[in-house]
Amino acid sequence: MKRRLSAGNYLVLLCAFAFFVVPMIAAIEFSLRGDQGTTHGLSNYRWILAQEGFGANLFTSARLAAITAILVLLLMVPTIVYLHLGGARWKRIIEFICLVPLVVPVISYAMGVATAMPIFLQSTVYELSFLYVIVTMPYTYRALDVGLSSIPLLTLVEASKSAGATMRQTLVLVVMPSIRSAINGAIFLSVALALGEFTLAVLLHWDTFPTWINNVAQSNVLGAVSLSVFSLVGAWLVVLVVAVGPKSKHSDQNQEA
Amino acid sequence: MSNQHGISVNLQGVTKTYGTVVALNNFNLDIAPGELVALLGPSGCGKTTALRILAGLDTQHSGQILVDGKDIVGVPANKRNMGMVFQAYSLFPTMTVLENIAYGMRVRHISKEKQVARANELLELVGLQETGKRLSHQLSGGQQQRVALARALAIEPSVLLLDEPLSALDAQVRTQLRDEIKRIQTEVGTTTLFVTHDQEEAMAIADRVGVMRHGVLEQCASPQAVYLNPINVSVAKFVGAMNLLPAVVTTNNELEIYGQSVGWRNPDGLTARSGRALVRPEQLLLGSPTTDRPANAIVTNQTFLGPLTRISAKVMSDGNTLHVEMPSIEASDYPIGKNVVVTIQATSVLLDA
Repeated sequence: MKRRLSAGNYLVLLCAFAFFVVPMIAAIEFSLRGDQGTTHGLSNYRWILAQEGFGANLFTSARLAAITAILVLLLMVPTIVYLHLGGARWKRIIEFICLVPLVVPVISYAMGVATAMPIFLQSTVYELSFLYVIVTMPYTYRALDVGLSSIPLLTLVEASKSAGATMRQTLVLVVMPSIRSAINGAIFLSVALALGEFTLAVLLHWDTFPTWINNVAQSNVLGAVSLSVFSLVGAWLVVLVVAVGPKSKHSDQNQEA
Repeated sequence: MSNQHGISVNLQGVTKTYGTVVALNNFNLDIAPGELVALLGPSGCGKTTALRILAGLDTQHSGQILVDGKDIVGVPANKRNMGMVFQAYSLFPTMTVLENIAYGMRVRHISKEKQVARANELLELVGLQETGKRLSHQLSGGQQQRVALARALAIEPSVLLLDEPLSALDAQVRTQLRDEIKRIQTEVGTTTLFVTHDQEEAMAIADRVGVMRHGVLEQCASPQAVYLNPINVSVAKFVGAMNLLPAVVTTNNELEIYGQSVGWRNPDGLTARSGRALVRPEQLLLGSPTTDRPANAIVTNQTFLGPLTRISAKVMSDGNTLHVEMPSIEASDYPIGKNVVVTIQATSVLLDA
């Protein structure tokens, strides 16, 4: 039975909605203003596209985001599945390790990279993806852990194995589709972080989309706001693609994450 | 029975412990080709452990597992070619019924056409032709277990393993599906191991019933033999209802129970001179009382069980309550409060000393 919302509920929802939407509407309106502030148009967005390095840096960040998401899935899904299937004694340790990035300053990672990461990785921008995997671990671990807790994992894995599947086939054909929402959440978190991360990129002297925004925005206030709106819309598009893009033919009602 | 597809299974000296708990203790079981053996026992007796070890989902500490004469110890579960139906519903939630059934063939890279043809064939076998495109949550519990059975059979398994597949179902569906499993198993002739704690289920479905206790297979015989000639006291007490009546061993090695002499079956080699005789409710008869018989009793309760009625009677001489089962049509002759005499109509019984 559906519960009817009271007037008080609607008021709270309205306030929350306004709190969320009004600044964005203001930002969008500001980003559409012309030079004198009296006309509106897309001149600021045209200015963004005309800036040198826009496409290259956006593409760099997109590649980093994709690699980060793939690395997160490759590392986290088998690990957390293992913890759920029989490695429970490792759970506290792994949980602790996954929480560490929340308390260690990002600059420490940058210094660690400079001293410990293999040279062949330090020489490429993709070293950032490995660091982004670490930085996203607190969030992706939680998302995947909740997803796996919501399905009868052991029974499904044993049923799959007894049907003749290898562990890899079981993960790809049974487990991952069953926690699709959780995986989407982990992908979104990884992509959003990789697209917006600034500190590590600056400290390690790499040009990415956020560092490029920082550079070009200093010469044009309206352009800076337009870039912020552009980034925001970009992030929403990622959410949209992740949430409805590779939609399976079935509703995965069992998942919560 | 059509058993041309069946192969033999032998578990020899299998031992498994969990910490200090011995789940299987030198466990031995031989299953003939095409045979359906039910492992029966209370919770924690090791029956599921035996099945999981055979499936390759658990590993034993010692012992051999021979399938068709070949030792499969060390062979991973996905290479053993054993179909399994689990106690919990185990259909893959994001796959349709047809996809679930075809899963084993899909991971074996069998052509799509063959997958669909075989899956449809099995859907028909389990009577669910109309449900192929449904998801598992759109099926009832009984239907889900039917699909799980079809999925297990789809890979043409060497051995079919059923781990309490009916325990989550309601009574009516359980009986229907039980009969259906028996029919299908007879039809396909696959060697089958069925684990259950439900005696009626085991008796109804199995060619042989193996009764387990503390990780040991105590008796493995036909349902009739297990019920009528239990190998020892613990099997007798576990399988079916049993009265425990005070008994004394006589000089000619018989048992005297309430003044009546009954043969003593002593497989355990007991040397005790007295104890409690194990007599089934249907081995007791009620009649009109005579004066001063030690078996005189008074009816204290009647429990209607459908075709049978269980009558409880309190023995006057020692206050012991015993239970007698008789056709319901005759039970009206023994209302509560009626004085009766109890007669034992067994030729030999076991003694629990």
